[in-house]
Amino acid sequence: MKSRIAIAATLIGAASTPALAFAAEGGAEDRGTWGALVFYIINFTLFAAILWKYAVPAARNFFRDRATGIRATLAKADAAFREAEELANRAAERMAKLEAEKNQISSDLADETVYQIGRIYDLAREAAARIKRDAEQGATALAENANRRVREALAHAAGKVARDLVMSNFGAGDQTRLVQGFVEKLGEEARR
Amino acid sequence: MKNSKVAKRYARALMGLSSDHSQLEAWGAELERLARIVDSPEVAAQLESPTVNHADRMAALGKIAEHLDLSFPLRSFAVVVASHGRVADVIAMAEAYARMLDDLMGRARATLTFAYQPTDEDLARVVAGLEAIAHKKIIPTTKVDASLVGGVVAELEGKIYDGSLATRLADAERRLSG
Repeated sequence: MKSRIAIAATLIGAASTPALAFAAEGGAEDRGTWGALVFYIINFTLFAAILWKYAVPAARNFFRDRATGIRATLAKADAAFREAEELANRAAERMAKLEAEKNQISSDLADETVYQIGRIYDLAREAAARIKRDAEQGATALAENANRRVREALAHAAGKVARDLVMSNFGAGDQTRLVQGFVEKLGEEARR
Repeated sequence: MKNSKVAKRYARALMGLSSDHSQLEAWGAELERLARIVDSPEVAAQLESPTVNHADRMAALGKIAEHLDLSFPLRSFAVVVASHGRVADVIAMAEAYARMLDDLMGRARATLTFAYQPTDEDLARVVAGLEAIAHKKIIPTTKVDASLVGGVVAELEGKIYDGSLATRLADAERRLSG
């Protein structure tokens, strides 16, 4: 900041010095002299020297700093670019991996779905077979039970009818015949 | 089981007192009479009561024996039974004695259950049939049970001979019902 102020002050001073010299010569005739020429030359030399002494280093420093800043900025930009490039590569790699994972998951899901469908189908088929078997067994058991109960009811009714018939028609002769049959059986038993 | 063994032991001891079959038969009848009296609820309650002391119990049994006009061996037997506190087992002793006597005499007891009151002929035929099986003289005990419908059922030495119509009808009913 200080160097810039110094440069500006030098330039203003150098520019105003010839004007002061011309103002001092205003009353004379408009003709060149050797003294004026020397004065101009010295004046210009001083101006050039002052410029060389103060303006050029400042300008050089300014441009050098500027170049350094630009190079640093370029380096930063390059680093940022490389970082961005690396990030992009990594992102691409990650995307590729994600894609592979997605494909793998998709494939696994498809396989699992096929397996589960097969399993559900098998289970459903087994359940249907079991239900059918149970239903058949139940129906058979019911039919057998019903048959048995009908047979029992018929036998019971027949037995009751037979018992009633026997009791209503049973006589002393029948009892004697039964006793005779019993005695014959006893005889067979004795002969064994 | 224990009482049965004890009863057999007493019965065997009584039988060992004589080899005269007729006397053994007479003792059997006396023992049965004694058992019936002792087994009657009122007498049994008195004889087994813990409030009756031993002397009174023996005196009571002696009076019973006298009242029943038991022979001397049976009176002695009753006193021994009472003194050993076995009055409650007299009925089992009588049964065991009867079985032993039957074995000794070569006879068996059979229970005959008829559907109707049997005629003497029917009873004699059945008894003869059982004697042919047992090869012993049969002493029958007759019962009547109308639920047999017809025929007769005999129980001899733990074996049942079933000639009843009820059983035949039940068999037929069972075959019909499958």
